[in-house]
Amino acid sequence: QRLKAAVHYTVGCLCQDVAEDKDVQFSKQTIAAISEITFRQCENFAKDLEMFARHAKRSTVTTEDVKLLARRSNSLLKYITQKSEELASRNMEQKEKKKKKSSAAKGGRTGEQETAVTESEDSNMA
Amino acid sequence: ERRSSSLQHKSALFSCVTGQKQIRCHKNWSLSPEEFEIWDRLYRIKESDGVKEPILPQVHFETLENLEEISKHDEKATHELSLSEWRIWQNRPFPTSMVDHSDRCYHFISVMEMIEVLRHEQGNCSYELEIQPHLRIEDVNVQRNKSHLSVTNST
Repeated sequence: QRLKAAVHYTVGCLCQDVAEDKDVQFSKQTIAAISEITFRQCENFAKDLEMFARHAKRSTVTTEDVKLLARRSNSLLKYITQKSEELASRNMEQKEKKKKKSSAAKGGRTGEQETAVTESEDSNMA
Repeated sequence: ERRSSSLQHKSALFSCVTGQKQIRCHKNWSLSPEEFEIWDRLYRIKESDGVKEPILPQVHFETLENLEEISKHDEKATHELSLSEWRIWQNRPFPTSMVDHSDRCYHFISVMEMIEVLRHEQGNCSYELEIQPHLRIEDVNVQRNKSHLSVTNST
């Protein structure tokens, strides 16, 4: 329920953006339906990602698995691929920076950047 | 009259597969002359049939630049198969033969049922009321909330 509430909130915000952008209104029921669909779609995604990773004999889901989710539409696949390249290059930059930093002051946490990545990927999928 | 003749010819097709002579011409990926004749006579849609050629709707992304080429087809000559025309039937599982419903199919059915329930609501949304107490603000990306939503500020 807590997860559903978070999804519902975020869907509400996104719908608000679209509503302003397109000058249309969403009923509360529409937003509720979209958020329930999103919630359930996450289940589909999660199962598929797990299977894709396992199919490649991995236990860690990677961006390649995420790309497979988008395989049915060329436009979507292109978009996701672009995003993942952006992320990858940004990660590289950050790692470079981290290296410099950690060599200067010994002890940077790598956990931080990783959570940032997974978060933005989540919002991509939703 | 078409149906009965097509039944006859289904068995004819079977015998084509089993029969010695036909197996020879069946090795290609394409139809053999006999098969082509059957297809042409029984299944192929012609102008005289008065039915439009069925086509499937194409993927289209509203929020993305679309790469898929739009296949040119004559609107009047084709019948685009609709996936939403019979939506009021879709809040229950349809019968299956050999293939069970998938999880995503059941998700679809439940959401259709949920929409059916919500359809009759006016004003306040029961889903929202049920779920709102569980919202933890640390779960969500608060920066997004530039404009005030009725969904969010009622707590």
